[in-house]
Amino acid sequence: MRLDGVRLLLIGAVLAATAGCATSEEWTTWRSHTSHFASGPHMGFSVRNREGTAPRVSRQDITMARNENWWGKPITVSQEQILER
Amino acid sequence: MSGRSVRLAAALAVAGLLASGVALGLAHAAALDDRILPADKYTSDKGRALARKYQRALAELNAEVYHCMPWLDVRHEGIGFYKPRHLQGDVRYLSLNVEVDQQPSAEFSALPVHDRASRMFSRYVPALLRRMTREAGLMGEPLLEGFTVILSWLKQEPRPNERPVLDTIAVFLPRPQVADFLAGRATAARLAETAHVIAWDGETKLGEFRVRGWEDNFVATYRIANYQPASEVTCR
Repeated sequence: MRLDGVRLLLIGAVLAATAGCATSEEWTTWRSHTSHFASGPHMGFSVRNREGTAPRVSRQDITMARNENWWGKPITVSQEQILER
Repeated sequence: MSGRSVRLAAALAVAGLLASGVALGLAHAAALDDRILPADKYTSDKGRALARKYQRALAELNAEVYHCMPWLDVRHEGIGFYKPRHLQGDVRYLSLNVEVDQQPSAEFSALPVHDRASRMFSRYVPALLRRMTREAGLMGEPLLEGFTVILSWLKQEPRPNERPVLDTIAVFLPRPQVADFLAGRATAARLAETAHVIAWDGETKLGEFRVRGWEDNFVATYRIANYQPASEVTCR
């Protein structure tokens, strides 16, 4: 059977979407081992998935985990309400 | 010492200076530059003068928090010589505004807001003040009146389809009180007593607060598993 471009694109999109996602078992493990550092569990994926290397967390890993917006955009006071330039 | 030895020593000294400068430069470059308020964005000459004079100190503070306290996120333009809104006149405080990336436990979230604020004050304000004052000249700077530390953290873990809400405290401390604390003449408890603290629940202002303070060695002892700062950075 010959795959057309659209099918290939769809398969690629599904693979890309699932590659970085956690299994339900992993989610359960994270929930039961909460840490002080909120991005830590999220960050664990990328670090753990580097096969054949010792685990090493860089500052960039942490920034990327935080940028994933773990809980979404927060409701908070703006700096302009506290300080003036 | 011969002329050749002198030239060799001088060359080595210059090479050392260049090497340390490059290393520092790399560390600064890796930290996010938008965390510091640029000098041309201040609304007074006093603010601009402080920003230009202590440009390097602010960059080092930004780099130190970025690399050595990576669970803290300095807000956009969160470092600068800002004027606290509740004070009259062009009063300039060195300010640091950070969000603590903390997963709230059920126990922590169940505490009254004053207790949550006291715990976060004790954990971070003394530690951050020490880092904000690494540049010795700041404590004798006549244009600088004090220090502001703004801390935000997740109030509780949000339910599905619910936006997260942050608790925030803004801590204002005049320079003499900070000097007493840094010199060991005042404890963390005394620092909390003398601090002017304003709190927010999300965007809602809760008003002025009294917080309690105590010694907390969390910042000195906490390490993220397997975290390694960039090779050119030394964390103190």
